[in-house]
Amino acid sequence: MNINATFFAELIAFCIFVFITYRYIWPSMASVLEERRKEIDEGLQAASESKRQLEEAKEESSRVIDAAKSEASTLINQAGSRADQLIDEAKDQATEEVKKIKETAESDIAQSTNRAKETLKEELSVLVVAGASKILNKEIDESANKEIVDQLIKEL
Amino acid sequence: MAKEAANNLVETSDYIGHHLVNLTFGWCEKTSSWGFAHHQQDLSKSLDSACDVSEMGFWAFHMDTIFMSVFLGVLVFGFFGLINRSAKKGTPGKLQNFVEFVHEFIGSAVSSGYHGTSKIVAPLAFASCLWILSWNLMDLLPVEMANFFGQAGSGINYFKILPTADLNAPLALAAVVMVLVTYFSINTHGLGGFLKELFIVPLGPLEFISFVSKHVALALRLYGNLFAGEMIFILIAIMFGQFFMSFSQTLWFLPGLIMNLAWALFHILIVALQAYIFMMLTIAYLNLASTKH
Repeated sequence: MNINATFFAELIAFCIFVFITYRYIWPSMASVLEERRKEIDEGLQAASESKRQLEEAKEESSRVIDAAKSEASTLINQAGSRADQLIDEAKDQATEEVKKIKETAESDIAQSTNRAKETLKEELSVLVVAGASKILNKEIDESANKEIVDQLIKEL
Repeated sequence: MAKEAANNLVETSDYIGHHLVNLTFGWCEKTSSWGFAHHQQDLSKSLDSACDVSEMGFWAFHMDTIFMSVFLGVLVFGFFGLINRSAKKGTPGKLQNFVEFVHEFIGSAVSSGYHGTSKIVAPLAFASCLWILSWNLMDLLPVEMANFFGQAGSGINYFKILPTADLNAPLALAAVVMVLVTYFSINTHGLGGFLKELFIVPLGPLEFISFVSKHVALALRLYGNLFAGEMIFILIAIMFGQFFMSFSQTLWFLPGLIMNLAWALFHILIVALQAYIFMMLTIAYLNLASTKH
C-alpha cells in the first residue's frame, strides 16, 4: 500500500465536487423537479376544473332544454284548450242564435196566427151582423150593437 | 525449456508489476528535486527524476489517479450541471429524464436512510456515488489500453486508469465521511458526549478502534473489490497474451476470450454495487451519528 500525498489531492478534489453538488447541482435538480411537480399539479387541477365546468354546462344545457320542452308542451296544451274553448263558445253562440231565431220565428208565427184570428173574428162579426140584419130585415144600429158584438167576439 | 519458463515467469511478474505502478510525480531526496519517477515518461528529460517510485517518500503524487479522477469528476458533474442548466419547462427530454431518475434514486435512498435535517447528506451521497461509479467503470476498459497508448507514442509508460485501485482515492472519500460523522456526532451529543461514546461507553477504548476501523473499512472495501477485479483482468490478459508468445499456447485464446467476457459481465455488477454500498454506508453512518440514543 503506497499512501502518499495523492490522498490530499483526492481529499481536496472530493470536497470541491461535494461543494459544487451541494451549491449548484443538487438544488437546481430539486428546483427543476419541484417546478415540474407544481406544473403537473396545476395541469391536473385545471383539467378537473374544466371537467367540472363541462359537467355544469351539460347540466345547464339539459336544464334549458327541459325547460323549453315543458314550456312548449304547456303552450301546446294551452293552445289546445283555447281552441276547445273557442269551439265551445262558437257552439254555444250558435245554439243561442238558433234558439233566438227559433223564438223569433215562433213569436212571428204566433203573432200572424193571432192577427189572422182577429181578422177572422172581425170579419165574422161583420158577417154575423150582416146576416142578422138580413134575417131581421131591419137595420140594426150598428153602433148600438157594436158593444154587444164585440163582447161576443171577445168571448169566442 | 527451463530457461524459457523462467524467462516467461520474469516477464509475467514484470507485466503485473508494470500494471500496478502509478505514474508518480514526487520529491526525490537524492537530487533534491521534484520529478516523475525514473523512466516513467519520455515527454521531458528535465522532469525525469533519478529516483524510482519506491525511493520517493510520502511527498509524491499519483498523477494518473489525480488526472483520471478529476477528469471523470468534471465529466460527470459537468454533465449533470449542463443538463440542469438546459432543463426546460414542460416535457423533459431523455437526458433530463435520466438526470431526474438519478436524482430520485439517490434522493429516495437518502430520505429513507437518513432522518436528520442536514442538507449536506444528499449532495454528499450523490457526489460520492456518481464519482465512484465513474471511476469503477474505468475498470471495464481493457487493461492494456493505457499502456498501448503509452507505447504508441504518448510518451507515458506507466498509467493506471482506475482511480479506485489506488488506495489514496477511496481513503480520501472515507476521510471526508469520517470528518462529517465526527461533526454530526459532536453536533448531536456535544463534545463530551461524543468523547464519552468514543472512549468509555460501552466497551471502553474498543469503541474508538471500531470508530476508526469502520471508516478505514469503508475505503478498503471499495479499494479491495476493484483492485482484485483489476488484478483478475490482468491475469486473464496474461493468459490471453500467451497466444502471441508461442504457437503451443494458441489454445489459450478461446478460454481467455470467454473468461474475459464472463468476468467483465460479472464485474459490471461489482462496479455498480460498490458505488451503491459506499453511498448507502455513508448515509447510514451519518444517520447513526445524528440520532440520539
